[in-house]
Amino acid sequence: MIFNIFKKELKETLRDKRTLIMMLVIPILIFPLILNVVVGVSSSFEESAENKTLKIGILGETNDYLALKLNEIPNALGPKTLIPYHGDSLKMKADLKEEKLDIVFIYDSKFSEKLDKMEPTKLICAFDKTNIGYEQRAQKYVQYIEAEERLKRYQTLNIDEQQITPFEIAFENSASNQKMIGELVGGFLPYIFIAFGFMGCMYPAIDLFTGEKERGTIETLLTTPVSRWKFLIGKMLVIILSGLMASFFALLGLFFSINFMDIIPDPEIMNVINQILSLGFVLKLFLLLLPLTVFFAGIMIPIAVYTKTFKEAQSIIAPLNIIVLLPAMAGLFPGIELNVQTALIPILNIVLTTKGLIGGTIDYSLLILSFSVMVVLAGIAVAVSFKQFGKETNILS
Amino acid sequence: MIKVEHLTKQFSLNKEQKKEVGTTDKFAFAVNDISFDCKPGEIFSLLGPNGAGKTTTLRMLSTVITPTSGSIIMGGINAVTHPNEARRKIGFLTGSTGLYARLNAHELIDYFAALYGVSNQLLTERKKYLFDLLDMNEFAHKRIGKLSTGMKQKVSICRTMIHDPEIVIFDEPTSGLDVITAESIIQLIRDCKAQNKTVIFSSHIMGEVDLLCDSLAIIHKGQMKYQGSMQEFREKMSEKSITAEFIKTVQA
Repeated sequence: MIFNIFKKELKETLRDKRTLIMMLVIPILIFPLILNVVVGVSSSFEESAENKTLKIGILGETNDYLALKLNEIPNALGPKTLIPYHGDSLKMKADLKEEKLDIVFIYDSKFSEKLDKMEPTKLICAFDKTNIGYEQRAQKYVQYIEAEERLKRYQTLNIDEQQITPFEIAFENSASNQKMIGELVGGFLPYIFIAFGFMGCMYPAIDLFTGEKERGTIETLLTTPVSRWKFLIGKMLVIILSGLMASFFALLGLFFSINFMDIIPDPEIMNVINQILSLGFVLKLFLLLLPLTVFFAGIMIPIAVYTKTFKEAQSIIAPLNIIVLLPAMAGLFPGIELNVQTALIPILNIVLTTKGLIGGTIDYSLLILSFSVMVVLAGIAVAVSFKQFGKETNILS
Repeated sequence: MIKVEHLTKQFSLNKEQKKEVGTTDKFAFAVNDISFDCKPGEIFSLLGPNGAGKTTTLRMLSTVITPTSGSIIMGGINAVTHPNEARRKIGFLTGSTGLYARLNAHELIDYFAALYGVSNQLLTERKKYLFDLLDMNEFAHKRIGKLSTGMKQKVSICRTMIHDPEIVIFDEPTSGLDVITAESIIQLIRDCKAQNKTVIFSSHIMGEVDLLCDSLAIIHKGQMKYQGSMQEFREKMSEKSITAEFIKTVQA
């Protein structure tokens, strides 16, 4: 009987445009859209920042030592135009502030003499840090000039550079690519899956419970010789399936984005990502999402049963989204790790467990603890739903 | 056969409801100690003004809500203690019954047949009989949301009768319907009587009652005001019209 109820409710749900959009269309498009926009915008910003001819203010004249050195820098490090300010530092700073200039160099009037005497001399390089690429460009220019000057001094002092270099320091990353990916995006991905899981549950929950009351179909349903709990379970299964499908379609969208949008140029990283997105990972992820989605359905059903209209139900459940996603957001912060305490916090535990699965750093005893916590909560939520669905005052408006 | 004895339904009142009713009592009686019998092959009418307790009574009969006290025997089954068994014998139709707009008539009828445990063979037979009788074949594959009110009412009737119930409960079945659609309901009630089914219906349209019912009960504020056959009611009338007599009975 439960299967008959499930089948009918699923058929109706799949014919509801709102649910289809929330369960299928938006989740499947979200990753391609986000990644397209992020990758497209950032690469176009980087490209334009690299190719932009920067206007560089020079405190002195165009035949100053620094100006000459800047002019010697090849255009491969970024095109530039030098504008001399003939000692007027106030006007130059004002022009920088008004964005008539991109980078300015302020230096001592005895800059060249001090360099000749091999004395340290101050060089101020100012720019607006909110402009993408300016800092990197300024660093490139300064490093180029400084390297040349340093080499000149070694030669004058007859010093072998090798001899004054005590260490050849190399910082190596001991984290695997998988761990790095887990740390960088491991919190974000489960957040998205959880958000869609919640939204995927929302419309069917309202439609299958509040909708029955609003459309006046609940009464005839309850005159049939079928126990109420069977209706509850049949309907709940559709809500859970809808939530899981929304998460699945989001994952599918991610998979297609990575494989067909050419957003990851490094084949090694690509290989690691494909290893992460294995069937085993997907099964583990959905095993974790299952009790969470049951929990979502379990907190939405009592609300949907209690409310009388679609609007009323939506006005309560939609803000609940934010409350539910707060612990999920906590999982995005660096430093928050899965331990016995965090494994007891619902939703956050699923985010951190998924993060561990993505990074390959999961402690399976904590995974079992997180899963058990969610199963217990899901059970409580189902019991509350059952109690509310059984109340005459809730069922009949 | 329906046998109702000392049926009572008490609801707890919340703050708003207390204000509305103008009481400090924690509870209110929607139905208070009513008893009546409905026999097979007879049409029993439950009358009363709005808020009299008709719908609450019929909801208790159809087992949607549980009585606070009293007993309901439906076709020999105690509907209070064995609601699921009683439901198999009941067909329930209200004027405000909604249907699943995203299903078509075939899908909806199949679903309710499954809920009532109707076998596939019986379903095929009943569907053919009812679809022909109600002239539903033309629109049976259209989504219900796209049907006219009259067509929807036919689907509702078909849904009510698909498991061939021995007891049919109608709660203000013609309320809000146009004359032509209401006529199909009147015809259904007559057919049920002809098929020796037990029929109970609530209404406040006296013309309908006069036309159809064999016996009646008038309730007001949850209490029984009159019970007897329609013939007796007519004979005892001191007012000129049935409507006037009904009002007099209620106000007595």
